[in-house]
Order: sequence, then structure tokens, then C-alpha cells
Amino acid sequence: MTILARVRDPELRARLSEAAEQLGARLVFAQDNAEAHIAREIAREHPSVVVLEPIHEIPLETLRSDARRSNAALLVAGHSTADAAAAVRAGADEWLLLPTTARDVEARIQTAIARSGVPSLRLENTARLIRYEEFLYDRRTGFPTLPVMIQRAREILEARGELTILYINFVWYEKIEETYGWQRLDDVLETTAAAVREFYINEYPAQQNVLMVSHVADDDFILFAELAGGDEARENQIRHISERLGGSLRDRVEAEHGEELAALCGIYVGAATVFRNPKIRTERLIYRGIREANRAARSAEEWERAGKIAHLKATIRDGAVFMEYHPIIVTATEEVYGFEALARGQRRELRSPEVLFEVAEEANMLWELSRLLRQRAVQGIINELKPDQYLFLNVDPHDFDDPAFLNLDPGELGIRDPSRIVLEITERSAITDYPRFQEYLTTFRERGFQFAVDDAGSGYAGLGSIANLAPDYIKLDISLISNIDTNFLKQNLVSTIVTFAESEGAKVIAEGVERREEFETVRELGVHLTQGFLFHRPRFVTAHEA
Amino acid sequence: MANVPILVVDDDPSALDIVRTYLESEGYEVALARDGKEALAQMEAVHPAIVLLDVMMPGMDGWEVARIIKNHPDYTDVRVIMLTARSDFTDKQEGLRAGADDYIVKPIRLEELGKSVARNLAARGQAE
Repeated sequence: MTILARVRDPELRARLSEAAEQLGARLVFAQDNAEAHIAREIAREHPSVVVLEPIHEIPLETLRSDARRSNAALLVAGHSTADAAAAVRAGADEWLLLPTTARDVEARIQTAIARSGVPSLRLENTARLIRYEEFLYDRRTGFPTLPVMIQRAREILEARGELTILYINFVWYEKIEETYGWQRLDDVLETTAAAVREFYINEYPAQQNVLMVSHVADDDFILFAELAGGDEARENQIRHISERLGGSLRDRVEAEHGEELAALCGIYVGAATVFRNPKIRTERLIYRGIREANRAARSAEEWERAGKIAHLKATIRDGAVFMEYHPIIVTATEEVYGFEALARGQRRELRSPEVLFEVAEEANMLWELSRLLRQRAVQGIINELKPDQYLFLNVDPHDFDDPAFLNLDPGELGIRDPSRIVLEITERSAITDYPRFQEYLTTFRERGFQFAVDDAGSGYAGLGSIANLAPDYIKLDISLISNIDTNFLKQNLVSTIVTFAESEGAKVIAEGVERREEFETVRELGVHLTQGFLFHRPRFVTAHEA
Repeated sequence: MANVPILVVDDDPSALDIVRTYLESEGYEVALARDGKEALAQMEAVHPAIVLLDVMMPGMDGWEVARIIKNHPDYTDVRVIMLTARSDFTDKQEGLRAGADDYIVKPIRLEELGKSVARNLAARGQAE
């Protein structure tokens, strides 16, 4: 077999040489970028596969025709997913992303050759073609998917007699998507994929018996490895990989997306080792091992959850929370209208309020947590509020089922004037019984409290269900605000809500205003109040004196 | 700026014709597609600056096409304007979820179409 390569990247040249050696193939480097030269080389060498970096002067389609003419497969080595997409469009039989490993190059050469034998992969419709590609290679990582690599895993198992499978389970709290939007979640997934890829390439630069695989339609990864040296050595290696990978992923997500978001993600590694058994089909053994490793990863996750519940109990017992007060300003005058109190756990693993609540829900301690946070939120600021300023407190529909909240004595909490308190209803749990809920609201309203509804405009609830609650404030969902200055659909939606609010006698609050242009736009649209990092960073109050 | 192509997607040939005639008279280059599949093929072929996308189409509907375009890494600079017969709040929310940048209520008033195209081109210029 002959491989003809027109490649300048020294890394890739080295990987190619290693791969060629493994494949027992002859490797020829073309010396010139001219199309005529490459075509001549193809005609002379009769290669099985042609490996190219994208060359700007020559359309890939032309090179593909040259390769086809002498029945050679075309493999394109790109530097970005855009290169890969261009290669797919041009009809390359296979692509790979740099940096890469010899093992990857080898596998891709084989796939390219196998595929070039298939009459034509150019499906009539590009969308289908792209979907087909995604089935074989993960778009984010460039890792092959399981069906592509199962054959290699089999070979290792058959040759070595054993194979260790590490299942890398990436989990995130649903709140990431709800709070930050799917684009942000996609960015986080992108970061983790890049970190996994980097980890693999750095740890196993030229290892023949370590394979990394992306799990289709999921954000999990599988690592096949031959971890020799007996049970104990294997355990140590697994632990080492888990720690290294978990650590580097957390660092990357934290560096690129902030501590708050990083707290909402976790990585769990589970392992299983399978041994060759002549009575059982090798493939089945491998799939069984994957399931086992997956279960182990989930139980690692459960362990951590159990740990978090223990931390939460301690947090509630010790009152180990601190409050952040996010200012809300009057859009027209830029004066401080009030503050929204947000809680954070003092323990690192419970820092994020989303995690706090999610863990409390699992531990069945939502009411206890809410009571603590309400008390802290009021205590931390009530004596510093100016007479015309308001305090926004988050409450969940769930809280209204708590007798301690329902019979709340404002004086006991230190609230002298309930009309300065705005209860902000976040729909963490859905409102199931509307008539009863409205009754609850009435009893609070009669005592003077005001209400805000959170996250309006994004969910499936229309304006009608907001009207049912007759709020004093309507808080716009963050997804409506980001880049509102250039999105006319968002402007229209916000303007509709402002008109609606005015007809209902309510004020509109824009949350998450980060850029001056966004602020100018919401001001022009008549949004009454604004909240976001553009104006004030939150004030921290550590009210921990228990 | 007038040379950036605009892709118009609508299953109604007469709507395509009117919109094309108008946009060409305004000096824009226009590409057409009659359904979602054709639209995606045209995305590849012309890489338009703006896609005018009818919501109600047989097969893939406009929301789905918008989602695919807006999620595609190659098309982050493409503005999507929905053409919709309904203009109620929930319909616009659907547009927000699909990632649309603007919308025009059908039947289309050409003057409004012109304004929308102009402001989206301007916003696109800003973002770059």
C-alpha cells in the first residue's frame, strides 16, 4: 500500500510516518503544491490514499477528481471544523483534525480507503450528508464514534486478552440551560470537548492501545485502554486518569466560563475491565463492559450527590450562607430602586444558588433552606435600605405550601414595612393549583407585600398566565436581553410586554443587561427598571455570625 | 454592501416572485428556495447575508430551518427574518427560541420588507 501526502505540518508528517509504519505502508511526500504536480504524483505512485492539508489555490473538488481517477481515497487534514466541513462538502472520503495521534491517523486512513470503495458518498442533500458525518465523527471533538472504533477495540481485546473501558460521564445541572440559555450550554460543551481532546493527545501521544471515542447523541466519552500490571496497578491508573481529567476539565470550564457556571458541571469516571472469553462474542463483551463502566460512572455521581446532601445539612445547621445584593436601577434616572437578594453557600461545592436549591430538593429540605435564606436576606440589608428602596426576595411556588412562610410574621423577620418587600416568584417548581395559589398571593397582598414574576417571555407561558397573577413587576428573561440591540424580534417582544405591563399597572424589569448598547435599547423600549453587571457589581454581605 | 446575497424561502411561487422582483430592484442579489431542503442546499451554495424564511412550509417548517441555520457554526453571521402569517405573542416566542433575528407579518408590505432587510444588514455590519 502506498500513501501519498502533501503535508507541511511537521507534527502531522511525524504522525503519518508512524501510522504508515504501523500499516506497513510506503509513504511518499509530494514536494509541490501545484495541482499538476500532485496529479502527476498520483498517476505515478498509484497510492491507495492521498493525504492533503487544505490548499487555498486548488479547489478540493479538483484534487478529489485527481484522486478518484486513479482509485485513490482522499483524506484531508484540517485545522478547524470549518476545514473539516469544507472537506466533507468537497467529497473527501475522510478528514481529521490537527493536532492528532498516530493511532487516529491510522484509523482514518483505513476508513478513507474503506469509504472510497463505496460508490458515492455525496448524498443529494447536504443536510443529510452532514448528519451522516456526525454519526461517524463527533462534530465537537472530532473523535470517532463508537461504531467506527468498535472494530479496533475488538482487535485490542483479542490481541491482549483484556481491555479496560473508562466511561467519562459529563453532567450539568439543567439550570445551566434555563438560566444561561442553550447557546451558553453549547459553549460549555465545546470547552469540555476541547479539554477532553487535549487531555487525550497530551497523555497518549503515540500510544497504540488507547482509543478515545465520543458517544453518539450524548456528551459522554469512552476511553478504551490496555492498562496492564494487575488489578492494583489498573485501579491506580484509573484513579489517576479520573483525577487528572476531572481536574483539567473543571479548570478549563472555570477559566472560560467562570466559577459560577463551573459549579454547575461535574465529571464522573467509571471503569470496567473485560477479559477475552472464547465462548462470548467479543463485541458483546465490549458492549457489556461499556454498560458496566457507565453504571460505575453514575454511581460515582450518586456518591458525590450524597456528599453534597451532607454538606447542605451542615450548611443549614450552621447557617453557612452569604448574601449578594444585586442593585435594580430606574432605567430613566439610573438611580437605585432596590436590591435583589441572592444567596450563596459558603462551602465551595454549594456556592451556586442553583446547586443549593437542587440539592435541597433532593434532600427534601427546601423549606428549611428557604427559611434560612429569607431570614439572612432581610437581616443583611434591611437597616441600610433607604426609605424609598425595595428589597426583592426570591420565593418559589413550593414555599407557599410551607406553613411557616404562609403565616409569616413580617415583624419577626425584621420587616417594618411589608410594602417595601417584593416577593419574586421564580418558577423553579411549577404552579399546579392556580386558584389556591392566587388565594395565597391575596393574603400576602393584603398584608402589603408586592409581587414580581420572574423570567417572563421565554417559556411557553403566554402573557395570559402572567396576567392571572396580577404582579406588580414583570422580570424579563435574560434570553430576551442579550444582544437585544441587534435583534429586532426581541425588541418587538419586549415592547409588547412593556405595553401589556402598563395596561396591567405593572413595571417591567430587564435582567442581565451587560452592555451599554443593550441598556440604550431597553431604555428606548420603555423598560422601567434595569438590573445587570453594566451598572453595579453586586454587594456582598457575609451575614454569618452564628 | 448591496452585493451580499439574500436567500428567500417560500413554498408559494408568487410570493417568491414578488419578493425577488422587489429585492432585485433595490439592488440586492437574490437566491430562492421552495422548501427547507432547498434552503439548506442554497445556504451552502451562496452563503447569504440574510435569509427570509416562510414559517408555514410543507416538510421542514420555517422554525426548524431557522434552528438549523442558527445552530450551524458556519452561519453565525447570517441573519434570519421570519415571514409569518401570525403575529401573536406565542408565535414570536417560537421565533425567539428558534434564534430568529426579526420577523415580518404576511401579507408582506414591501416597504416594511425593505426596512427590515436594511436594518438587519446594518446590525450584521455592526456585529462584525
